[in-house]
Amino acid sequence: MKFNKYLELILFWLVAFLFVFIPLYPKFPLLNVQGTFVAIRIEDIVIALTVGLWGIYIILSNQVRILLKDKLIQALLLFFVVGAFSVFSATFLTHSVSWHLSLLHFFRRVEFMLLLPIAATVIKTKRQLIIILILLSITVAAVNLYGLGQQYLDWPVISTTNSEFSKGLILRLTPGARVNSTFAGHYDLAVFLAATVVILTPLFFVVKKRFKIPIFVLGSLSFLMLIMTAARVSFVAAFIGIISSVILIKKRKLLALIFVVIIIALIYPSQLRDRLISTITVNLFQQGQRYEGKTQDQKIRGKLNIPTLAIKTSSTSASTSTFASPSGDLATDIAPGEPVDTTQLGVYRSFQIRLQIEWPRAINAFLKNPFLGTGYSSLGIATDNDFLRSLGEAGLLGTLGFILVLIETVKRIWRIYKSEDKFIKYFSAGILSMILAFVINGLFIDVFEASKVASLFWMILGLNLAVEKFKE
Amino acid sequence: MLWPSTSDINDFKALPDSVKSELEGDTIQIPNVAAYFSDNYRDEVISFYLQDYQSKYNFPFPPLKLNHPPEYSWIAIKKHTDTTYLEELIYPLRDSFYINGFEPFYSDSTPKFWGATQFEAGDMLWETKTTLRFYPSTIIIRFVVWFMVILSMGMIYILGKRIIFEK
Repeated sequence: MKFNKYLELILFWLVAFLFVFIPLYPKFPLLNVQGTFVAIRIEDIVIALTVGLWGIYIILSNQVRILLKDKLIQALLLFFVVGAFSVFSATFLTHSVSWHLSLLHFFRRVEFMLLLPIAATVIKTKRQLIIILILLSITVAAVNLYGLGQQYLDWPVISTTNSEFSKGLILRLTPGARVNSTFAGHYDLAVFLAATVVILTPLFFVVKKRFKIPIFVLGSLSFLMLIMTAARVSFVAAFIGIISSVILIKKRKLLALIFVVIIIALIYPSQLRDRLISTITVNLFQQGQRYEGKTQDQKIRGKLNIPTLAIKTSSTSASTSTFASPSGDLATDIAPGEPVDTTQLGVYRSFQIRLQIEWPRAINAFLKNPFLGTGYSSLGIATDNDFLRSLGEAGLLGTLGFILVLIETVKRIWRIYKSEDKFIKYFSAGILSMILAFVINGLFIDVFEASKVASLFWMILGLNLAVEKFKE
Repeated sequence: MLWPSTSDINDFKALPDSVKSELEGDTIQIPNVAAYFSDNYRDEVISFYLQDYQSKYNFPFPPLKLNHPPEYSWIAIKKHTDTTYLEELIYPLRDSFYINGFEPFYSDSTPKFWGATQFEAGDMLWETKTTLRFYPSTIIIRFVVWFMVILSMGMIYILGKRIIFEK
């Protein structure tokens, strides 16, 4: 019994440590895996250690049977089993994956999602919940301050946005580059910040007076940083999440104020504003000046758009058929038909990559094996729509398994939301709205596969579900 | 699931009026790869193999036709495959048949890109090269995967009912 108590305490502090370590520790690779630039990092080792200890704790405390009867655990196990089936089918039937990469991606999902039952079982009291929330708040403040440091003080940037960067290169933000703080990608940071402002909104109204100012400052700073990431979807997700949380805590009068704040944020000159405007002008109305190509060869290649074709080169002249622009006015790799304005070009590509490459690839994968998909890793690093990715990689069955996990989680948090305890009620309102924000983000970003935000997502859900078993 | 299928690329017909490639990488180096030089363009090639593929299985409906980005040929066929289109014929949960076409010219003989040349093979010049790759499946694997699918369906149905309807 005493050993179990020690184990419980160790696990609690390990989980608390993970809540701080995962968001703050930069994505330095520890072990590289052949064939991908997804690397194994220290946090994976710490999570594996936590999972191992948790397994021992569950066995020693005779909770195996209780856990196996739990519908949420059953849903998680079902999702893992279908995922394993999908890996088998992809390896031996559709031949659409390298087995080791598919297993790596499968175990990544298992790793992230196991953090939910771990957090839900090791956090036992309201005091522990508050300790974690305080640690999380300090972590959020640190993430924001580091982001400001990157933007204004030239602090180092660790990024995983391409294979070279993901080797752990120390970079600096270049003019116009978007801040990513410790998240190695501005989209991941934006998703984290969107979740933060959504959770903080209801908490602001329930905490004691002396905590209101720190929460307001933290929320405002996070909102400002969210604008600095210029991530349009996360901004919209945060907006909808805040509205949802305000409705859930029955403060509808605040809606007008929220709309005013959002409008001010959109009017104030920023990359976010420019990108939102470009989304409408370029992607919806096809406006903006387009690059026509300087040479005949550029125009011909622009029509085909096949990167593996031979490129015209010359041993006597510096001019080639590549789309390089020596003047510096244009993007060096601009192709005929693309907008010449750099902001518009970024927005145009962001949408076209999804529309013409990533989403059709996921749909093809789904058609190829509608039940089990073409296996984890078969769609590469990104699909930029988590639901299409799930359908493509794990098929209808894998996606249904995932949806069951979400439904059961939401049902339980909804029950907790009905609690008499005002703090728990408001906290749950924030978590329900965070789930909504994640789902909206998932329409354009692979949020459930982005390691830092996915791990935190499942841990925060576990934190909320832990309330069901509180002793005080 | 139990319907018999073919297991060898050589069971598929050669393209009409073509010469089989004997180049390295097109014969035995990569399993189940075959390539043909011809003057057949995409529409003719795809419809030819669509019929041939269907005839191998005798299903009353044609296989699914998936259009992939050409550069995916480096994964589906082999690395450094020259390509201007890549399509896949498939009956879901069975074998896959990839058709990679390399057409340096439009059908009116205008070059498509810089460096476009005809192919010299069998003392003739050809306008297109078609590379095929077949991914067969064994009956045991199909049986196991179908078992997994049915098992998953059953588990999702039972648990789904409990999660959605039970309070």
